[in-house]
Amino acid sequence: MMQPKLKSKVRATDREIGEVTRVIVDPLSHEISHIVVSMNGSGERQVAMTFVQSVADGLVELRAAARDILELPPFKRDEYVTTHEVEIAHLEEKVHVTPGEVLVPFPELEKSVKRRTFFMNFTHVIGFLIGLPIAFPVLRYLMKPMYSPFDNGWLKVGNISKIKQDDIGFQFKYKRKVKEAYMPESEIEKNVWILKATPAVLDKVYQGKDLEFKDAYGKAVWTNKKDVPFVAFSGKCPHLGCGYKWRQHKVLGQVFLCPCHLSIYDASGKVLDGPAPRPLDSLPIRVSATGEVEIIDMEFKAGTKTQIRII
Amino acid sequence: MTERESTSPLKLGLNVLWSACWTGFPIKLAIALLFLALGMMHFEARIGLAFLMYLASPVTVFAMPILSMAFEPHLGEGFGIALLFLLCIPIDIWAMGVVSRTVFLEKLRLEPPDGLALSLWIKTALAGAVYMPILWFVVGFVTENSIAMSHALFETDLLKAVPVAEKIGIELTLWGSVSLGVLLVMLLIGVTLVGRVIKSAAQSAQPTGQSYQDIITRWDLMRVPADQGLMLTAVTLVGVVLSLLFWAGLPVSTPHPHECCKKPEVKAQPPYKPVDALNKNEKAITVLAAQVESLEKMKTEEEAAKEKEKDKGKAVKAKPADAKAPVKAPATP
Amino acid sequence: MMEQTPPSATGLTALEKVIAFVDERVGLKTIQAKMLNEPVPGGSRWAYVFGSILLFIFIMQAVTGILLMFYYVPTADHAFASTQYIIHEVDYGWFLLSYHFWGSTAMVVCVFAHMSQVFLWGAYKSPRELIWLVGLALFGLVMGFGFTGYLLPWDQRAYWATTVGVEIMDKTPVIGDFMARFLKGGATPGQMTLSRFFVIHVMILPAGLMGLAGLHIFLFRAAGPAGPFRGTPEEIKAKTDYFFPRQIWKDIVGMVTVFLTICALAFWEPVVLLEEATPDPGDYHPEPEWYFLFLFQLLRLKMFGGEFGQFVGAMALPGAFMALLAALPFIDRDPERNIFKRPIALIGWIMVMAMILLFTIAAIINREFLD
Repeated sequence: MMQPKLKSKVRATDREIGEVTRVIVDPLSHEISHIVVSMNGSGERQVAMTFVQSVADGLVELRAAARDILELPPFKRDEYVTTHEVEIAHLEEKVHVTPGEVLVPFPELEKSVKRRTFFMNFTHVIGFLIGLPIAFPVLRYLMKPMYSPFDNGWLKVGNISKIKQDDIGFQFKYKRKVKEAYMPESEIEKNVWILKATPAVLDKVYQGKDLEFKDAYGKAVWTNKKDVPFVAFSGKCPHLGCGYKWRQHKVLGQVFLCPCHLSIYDASGKVLDGPAPRPLDSLPIRVSATGEVEIIDMEFKAGTKTQIRII
Repeated sequence: MTERESTSPLKLGLNVLWSACWTGFPIKLAIALLFLALGMMHFEARIGLAFLMYLASPVTVFAMPILSMAFEPHLGEGFGIALLFLLCIPIDIWAMGVVSRTVFLEKLRLEPPDGLALSLWIKTALAGAVYMPILWFVVGFVTENSIAMSHALFETDLLKAVPVAEKIGIELTLWGSVSLGVLLVMLLIGVTLVGRVIKSAAQSAQPTGQSYQDIITRWDLMRVPADQGLMLTAVTLVGVVLSLLFWAGLPVSTPHPHECCKKPEVKAQPPYKPVDALNKNEKAITVLAAQVESLEKMKTEEEAAKEKEKDKGKAVKAKPADAKAPVKAPATP
Repeated sequence: MMEQTPPSATGLTALEKVIAFVDERVGLKTIQAKMLNEPVPGGSRWAYVFGSILLFIFIMQAVTGILLMFYYVPTADHAFASTQYIIHEVDYGWFLLSYHFWGSTAMVVCVFAHMSQVFLWGAYKSPRELIWLVGLALFGLVMGFGFTGYLLPWDQRAYWATTVGVEIMDKTPVIGDFMARFLKGGATPGQMTLSRFFVIHVMILPAGLMGLAGLHIFLFRAAGPAGPFRGTPEEIKAKTDYFFPRQIWKDIVGMVTVFLTICALAFWEPVVLLEEATPDPGDYHPEPEWYFLFLFQLLRLKMFGGEFGQFVGAMALPGAFMALLAALPFIDRDPERNIFKRPIALIGWIMVMAMILLFTIAAIINREFLD
């Protein structure tokens, strides 16, 4: 195959007419089909390789007169793409006309812009419609364990006979059964602080209102009546969830004291000092006639001002 | 060039039917899936058959109700099946239109006449309605008989000793190839019929004057809608609505198989158990043989007793033994 | 005619500006054009969609597989319970698991379709030998996926199918025992087996598949699409179009069809587990997945009885067949690609497919004879 180099001079039978500005290659046969000749400024012409007589170093000789070449249709750049914009394997092995621009024509079917954009958009629509139906099930699937419903069962923690004095915190330990997904049932140990409150402390805890506990749907689960003297506080500090203690403080007297960040609460759970954002969390409590104490185990989000139940 | 080959009725029919089937298939499948998700229909084990019947092509759409009435290939239940069947009709007409116009242009170099889609659909659907039951009957008949014959072959003394796996393989090859051969022949005949239908529709069509490249470009651009934005928006909206329905109806935990279509413990295929049959027969035979033996024994004993009695001078009339009672043959499976 | 939008007088939109920013630095538009504007001789074809469909199925398997791993644990004491949890407790878990299960079937079917298409079109011949070889390796990986994944639910079916499969591998002379112990992680199947199968299924095979698939696509682009095996140059040129958008559109319609089919199968037969795996098979008759059934049935033939016979039937024969396939581009040097002019190839393909189909159906029939 003849390899007319770019920028070679082009000569018709009668005179020189310009130079090779571009080379056009057939994308399927990988053969050079046309050259584009500059025509010295009178408009580029696309010249088929059949017109080429010979190709020598820097010179392309045509077998037609300049007049005939001028009558060829003018070159339309729009109908072509460069070889950088199209994937034709192993083209460089056959065509040796670098440096410069080697062009490849658009396939006939690709010339319609409307067609290209339609199929491109249709492909996007179908792709979207494949993903859409599974988006919702996948989301629900992943979220399954995230918002488990609450277990509002009563748990026995001990007997009030353990409480010897008023307004003093007594720690009761209890076990809670936990079944996580497919794991076998296990028990975790928790603790709760219970005190027998005098009316003054009781008033500070309830502030004149019964304490109502609701479930996730707003239905009432239990109400701690404000005149029942027994109060239960969750064993987790509202600051960051540490277990706190009942201690003698130098200045403040007998208090609940959290060793992690030194939050201090009085007997009614009110924050006296430290980073705690809210008072101690009360739990539903009921005491039977024989003195058996039961609570509903609840846990609340740590570090928030408003109380948000999580377990 | 390839023109002459392409105008054979067989090639023409094959071309059109194959393309029309797959053109409509994705749309029908999306609807079928939605109905399955919403529990509007339940399919039995023979889902492959269901696919062929409903989703395959125009020729099967009328054949299905006829077959259910005549031969009862019970596929499943649910009003979704009837609805799917109704929805297949416009989809098939559209698919027929696209495919037939393309074939007319490219293979036959003819101008597709107006109303080609509907007229071709009606003709092919009617042809299918008549031909499919015939095909079903013939293939079913041949299959049943070839299965029976191949079993009978292996029950002969010569081949009884062939081990199970080999026997299954050879039997399957025998009746399978016969059945498949008949099915292929019937299908080819049917496809050729459709090809003739299309050819007769082509008789009145005018040749296009266009060059090959122009024809290709023309049918290619036929697939680009005039108003792209409208079409794409419509498709997207329909897809979104169907997805929402899908989400609403999708069962959260495993759907239990519907009462109609519980997968049976044994295979849904007609259970032919030659070994069982043989065993049963053998058992029956041994029982019978044992009975006969005991009868004979009794008879000889009786006769011996008779002799003795005779000798003794006293002829005791032998009681008509139970042996005289007719022995009922066990019902053959 | 070019697809770039010229900058309008009022300036580019924000998105266009971002794209132009990246394009200046990376040559985005050129890369995109080069990747997408590949002329497909003879035009885009539905027959060519299977490669892209396989890629789609793999991605879906990876996605559903990752989702399953949110709840599944590969321990002998919890594998079964966690799988049951997915099926019965997690919202739509049954659907995702059934999709994953049927997706593996779809993958095997499409692998057969893709290999058949390449074989029938003669697209394994020079200069495409390397693509074919990498493709055969990919086929092996897909079968490996099926085999290893089957064990994970740890029910009777899974446990015993795997046990039988590994025992068969054990029959290989010289290295069989080592291979079997390696896979089982011991002398008998147990926790070690599950762990090994899990890591192979979830890490090793996916990495291998991604690497080889990338190589496969790279080699394909380097050689260019083979195109149709018949048609005059005029016909081929008239129908030629670019990979994008037409072939991509056909690919995606193929993908959507496969996607819907898998979903429909998930509805028709959702995954149901048998009882949890125990060392006693009881009444249960072990059986591998359907795409291994033909081998399973082959081994029932008397000619493959006995230890060496099992090795020949299960490993040597299939191995020899795969070796034949690998050697194919080097044995078959005839450049003719028209399948109707390659009678040996056509008949060979029909016979292999028929044999596999025959033995698979025979295995299903054979189930009734096991009691």
